[in-house]
Amino acid sequence: MLEILIHGAVSSAIYAMLAVGFTLIFGVARILNLAHGSFYALGAYGAYFFTAQLKLPLLPAALLAIALVALFGVVVERVLVRPMRRSQLAVLMITLAVALVVEQVLFLTFGSEYRNVPAFVETKFTIGGVDVGGQRLLALGVSVTLIALLWIFIQRTRLGSAILAVSQDPEAANYMGIPSDRIFSIVMGLSAALAAAAGVLAGPFLTVQPTMWLLPIVKAFAIVIVGGLGSIPGSILAALMLGYAETIVGYLISTSWTEIVSVLATLLMLVFRPAGIFGKRAAF
Amino acid sequence: MSALLEVSGLNKHFGGLHAVRNVSFSIAPGEIVGILGPNGAGKTTLYNLLTGFIPPDSGSIVFKGRSLRGLAPYRIAGLGISRTFQLCRPFVGMTVFENVVVGGLGAHGSDRVDLDARALALLKQVGLLSKEQLQVEALSYGDQRRLEIARALAAKPALLLLDEPFAGLGSGEITDLSALIRSVHAEQGLTVMLIEHKLHEFMRLVGRVIALDFGEIIAEGAPEDIVRHPAVIEAYIGRGDEQAEEQTGAA
Amino acid sequence: MFGKRIDFAGALGFIAFMAALPLIFGGNYLIGVLTVSVIYGIWAVSWDFMSGLTGRENFGHSLFIGVGAYTAGFLNTTFGFSGWWSLPAAMVMAMVFALVIGVPTLRLKGPYFALAMLSGAVIMQRLMLIFWEQTGGEEGINGIEPLIRSQLGFYYFALAALVLVTALLLALARSHWGLILRAVRGDEATCQAAGINVTFYKIASLMISAAFAGAGGAIYAHYQLQVSPQLFAIVTSITIITMVYVGGMASIYGPVGGAILLVLLTELLRNFGEWRLMIYSCTLILILFFLPNGLIAPTWRRMKSMLAGRE
Repeated sequence: MLEILIHGAVSSAIYAMLAVGFTLIFGVARILNLAHGSFYALGAYGAYFFTAQLKLPLLPAALLAIALVALFGVVVERVLVRPMRRSQLAVLMITLAVALVVEQVLFLTFGSEYRNVPAFVETKFTIGGVDVGGQRLLALGVSVTLIALLWIFIQRTRLGSAILAVSQDPEAANYMGIPSDRIFSIVMGLSAALAAAAGVLAGPFLTVQPTMWLLPIVKAFAIVIVGGLGSIPGSILAALMLGYAETIVGYLISTSWTEIVSVLATLLMLVFRPAGIFGKRAAF
Repeated sequence: MSALLEVSGLNKHFGGLHAVRNVSFSIAPGEIVGILGPNGAGKTTLYNLLTGFIPPDSGSIVFKGRSLRGLAPYRIAGLGISRTFQLCRPFVGMTVFENVVVGGLGAHGSDRVDLDARALALLKQVGLLSKEQLQVEALSYGDQRRLEIARALAAKPALLLLDEPFAGLGSGEITDLSALIRSVHAEQGLTVMLIEHKLHEFMRLVGRVIALDFGEIIAEGAPEDIVRHPAVIEAYIGRGDEQAEEQTGAA
Repeated sequence: MFGKRIDFAGALGFIAFMAALPLIFGGNYLIGVLTVSVIYGIWAVSWDFMSGLTGRENFGHSLFIGVGAYTAGFLNTTFGFSGWWSLPAAMVMAMVFALVIGVPTLRLKGPYFALAMLSGAVIMQRLMLIFWEQTGGEEGINGIEPLIRSQLGFYYFALAALVLVTALLLALARSHWGLILRAVRGDEATCQAAGINVTFYKIASLMISAAFAGAGGAIYAHYQLQVSPQLFAIVTSITIITMVYVGGMASIYGPVGGAILLVLLTELLRNFGEWRLMIYSCTLILILFFLPNGLIAPTWRRMKSMLAGRE
């Protein structure tokens, strides 16, 4: 029971980081970014590359990876996504193409074997009789902290208010002197950074291979559908629900079935309540 | 003659807003009935209820003796009610001709015969025949309005619901469109319901007026009487509606 | 009238060309490549019929392909049915899947429908791996019997299938059915107001699209003689979408050219085998930016008007 509680929390935290980034860029710029999973993959691979190949110490390697992925996200938004903004479907296709290109690059560079991302914390802890890897606990802690920081950032800072304004009405925000385009890029960078951070933190205990971008995006999509597109609280709640649902299914049935949970959740939600739990704009 | 459309006790809430309150009226075949009311009075909501796009909370809608409640919009349209929309909504990416043809594709059985020929005839009637091969995006707004009417007529409806057909048109275009509606009504024995703000032309077109305010019927009768009706005047002036000046001036 | 005659001539010319190619150049390698390109053509055309006309892009087309392929594989290896039975069976299975997944998802707006279909394909791929005892897991199903023993004979069969499917869907697209689908793309609510049962048409079109995709999958199974979960992969769907974009959305005949062109192109770049996916993705990006209306169909239309101008 406690095992489920803790492992479920860890899963939920990682999912929350992924989902919040995904829903953020959607809520602000109406972009469904299928390359979001690629940011996650690049974060993990970046950490691997900088430590294993460039022999950097872990923390700077991690931060460097996150920063570079954030930059990459901004470039993708500026160069590839912005010209296509007129059509959500075109954006979907472009970001999907980017995801595939990234997968190919990773495959060609690193091969298809699983790679080892070093963990920040190697030790195992025992909480209430349950063995938990220190890295998992770290992932949980950092995720919660980062999301909380993001929330405070959006609610309390000027830039955060600008972001909120743009998410409600980019044109009106423009008239009020807020550079919507630049905000889109900033948010994309933030979103990418969050995904990359998730990759760095989860890399040590989740599989790292070139195709690792697909399942996170399917799950992120599931989460934001359940939680309501564009709603950060919704994403967090739905991430919790999904994380725990998967953990419980993993314990009771088998781990191979866990992926089905998210897709099933998506489909059921789309059928019965397409706006999600907190969503304001329905998916149709 | 029994009523073509019989509405009784119709109600619709949107959350806390009582958009349509206890609306009851009937339309006889061959009438041109006007729906009058300030913005937000519930006119378009009424149309959406009649055409099945939103379900009523309570009340009955009977068309040609059949209850329309619970029917999908396409079924209601198939029974003989066509509508136009406040903002022109042509099928983009298709030609004028194709737009009208699609309008008639919803009708069942024998009505499908010679659809192409009928489409051309309708286009001729609304004065768009020369433009039939153009893409709809190339049409002027006034022409798009005419196209909407041709499209709505393609299904050979018994009842035509027009939602602010004159909106966005210049005075010459309004006169033309009004004449078109009158001729179509006369020729095809159509029954027409018309929502409109532009009182001047409205008054000359309709035989009877139903006035709405805050979702309920505040007056019903001949155009000349309605315009002088105290409740109607209050609804317009009391609300500070900019159009009130123009409209009571025109009366 | 005149345009139709040019179209017909063009189609005949194309068929003759495709039929003659292996006879002129010979070699099993070429025939193999052509066969695969023709099968992709069937998949691309089936995608274009639904997604091209209605604008509801389906990111999970591989679902129907895989269902068709696995159905054929099962019927052949487990139950011993001959390939001629598996083809219609594959179509039926694909249609069933289309119905089941289409009913809840077709109500959704464009991008959400696309992602929902993608999720469907991902889930099927997973299921094939989870139930590895029944489906052969990663290895898939092997030892499927070829439909036609002769390489050339199989190619001509596949070519005939492509021609049939394209002709059928083209006719449907040019009929009132196609008009309705294009109107649905324009404005669904107005279609409803015009008396059209939009839901029926959307689901029916998805089922038709799925049926032919499944047929193509079955043909593929009886050609490759094996099926694997890779068929459900997103790569397959993206490849097909790229082919349709190159060919010209909603033209139905364009995707045929797109498929053949892209398969031939990537075969020419065979040495860069591992780069194939990259090529497809980059092609897609380039097309979206510079040639959103595609290459093949607009070129054909321009040729037609030039010819017509001469008369």
